[in-house]
Amino acid sequence: MNPAVIDPHTFDELQANAGADFVLELVDTFAEEAPRLLAELRNALAAGAAERFRRAAHSLKSNGNTFGATRLAEMARALELEAFPPDVAALDALVPEIDRTVAALQALARQ
Amino acid sequence: MSTATTPTGPEQFGRFAISLAERRLHVDGQQVALGSRAFDLLAALVARRDRVVPKDELIEVVWPGLVVEDNNLQVQISALRKVLGAQAIATVPGRGYQFTVAAAAQPPGIAPAPRAVVRAGAAPSRASRLLVADDNKVNRLLLCRSLELMGHEVASADNGRTALERLRSERFDLLLLDLEMPEMDGFGLLEQRAADPALRELPVIVTSSLEGVAQAARCIELGADDYLHKPVNPVLLKARVDASLERKHLRDRERELLARLAPGLLDGSQIAGAASEGQRTAATLLAACLGDVDRLTQTQSAQETLELLGNWSTLMLDAIESHGGRVTQLAGDTIGAVFDAADAATSALRTAQEMLELAAQFNRERTSTGKLPIVLGVGIASGEIVAGHAGTPRRASFVCVGAAVQRAAALATEAAQRGDAVLIDASTHAALADHLPNLAKSPDTKVTATGAFSIFSER
Repeated sequence: MNPAVIDPHTFDELQANAGADFVLELVDTFAEEAPRLLAELRNALAAGAAERFRRAAHSLKSNGNTFGATRLAEMARALELEAFPPDVAALDALVPEIDRTVAALQALARQ
Repeated sequence: MSTATTPTGPEQFGRFAISLAERRLHVDGQQVALGSRAFDLLAALVARRDRVVPKDELIEVVWPGLVVEDNNLQVQISALRKVLGAQAIATVPGRGYQFTVAAAAQPPGIAPAPRAVVRAGAAPSRASRLLVADDNKVNRLLLCRSLELMGHEVASADNGRTALERLRSERFDLLLLDLEMPEMDGFGLLEQRAADPALRELPVIVTSSLEGVAQAARCIELGADDYLHKPVNPVLLKARVDASLERKHLRDRERELLARLAPGLLDGSQIAGAASEGQRTAATLLAACLGDVDRLTQTQSAQETLELLGNWSTLMLDAIESHGGRVTQLAGDTIGAVFDAADAATSALRTAQEMLELAAQFNRERTSTGKLPIVLGVGIASGEIVAGHAGTPRRASFVCVGAAVQRAAALATEAAQRGDAVLIDASTHAALADHLPNLAKSPDTKVTATGAFSIFSER
């Protein structure tokens, strides 16, 4: 478990409210959805589609908040709210953070 | 996504046990023979007992793929009422029928099915159907899960357009709406809803992680009930959902009562044309009157009296509607109707006959529980009348005026006082003589002191 990646309080509450089995399914869904959102960010950036980009960032932020992935949510929020096009480095930094988040969530959900 | 369980054994409703699998009905432990259509109809009503089922829907279930007139449905409803009692199936004029007998307590381990008891003053309890519109799969699944854990039936849509299509084709009690969505976003859906009279009263709770007060304010301006910030706090979610559903159910109840007590008023188009399309026409008027109301009010509580009036009106309206009559007056203990088709006099007489049958059955139920029987008087008169909508643009109703209208009302009062069942005037008697010569010449038909013809007299 890496408390720097996932806020344990938020995750515990989620499990208490929705059930641990369901949260496991939800984490697996996120593991499938997150790379899709990342791809959408890249495609939107390449196409110069500011609104699509903002919406994908918004979605990623929202999911980060749901799971207590505080840092991922903050990074996604910055992409959502900052001027378009964003700093490409910010988008690149998102890749390892998503990987860390998914790994941490899967470990927590299977405990 | 529904998690409702279906009981496999017979379901018990008051005195009735209904086994859907074996297609059997027991009343007080005795098996009752029911026609196949009647059983299909009963099963359809029982399955949908959380709501008023439109006639079209019942016809589609019982006679799938066939073109069937309302009359056939009415015949089956009457057949069921003869077995189950007149009040087991309520008629909501202009809307349809509802099975009203509450399910008996289920044995432990079986989830109780939704049930509803419709009568004046009782709030229908029902399983609520919710729609979740959210393009984000994680959010959508989580919200659906939270709502299902609260006991609701939940459906979902992943964009605003799909959500709108489902709202227009299915019945929902509440919409939980995300703002950021492809195809049509939440604001777009709220705008469409505001412009659609059929959807305007559907409560909406917006759930969004959009930041800033402006978005929430815009949603409320567009008619949303509430705004919840994501991630949604489950306790807050439950409180807001319960509050919205309670308001919705109260509104539904008001609407149902209004439909029962003031038919015709709900349709705005009828009110808009008030007084504009009056016509002079030959018609037969029927008035039904509840006799001895003073005695009833003195021997029972106000609540019981109102319930009685509600049940009585329901039965009388049923008889009128099933024979093509149109209700012109509903005043608690009196009901007026007009028949203006070619066989108006015959239809009115058949209506009176059915009213008597229903009243007799109603009285059997009342006396078996130690209550006083009701006295029914029916008057029928024929002549030229003026019919149309009259009133103000805010409140109008379908009215009929003419000497025959007053004659029918007077005959009904006289019939109720005399304890005679049905009194008809000379014009109606003459009209019936063409269609039903045997009845007109029947030795049971007597002429009263006022010149009316007394038929179907019980005395």
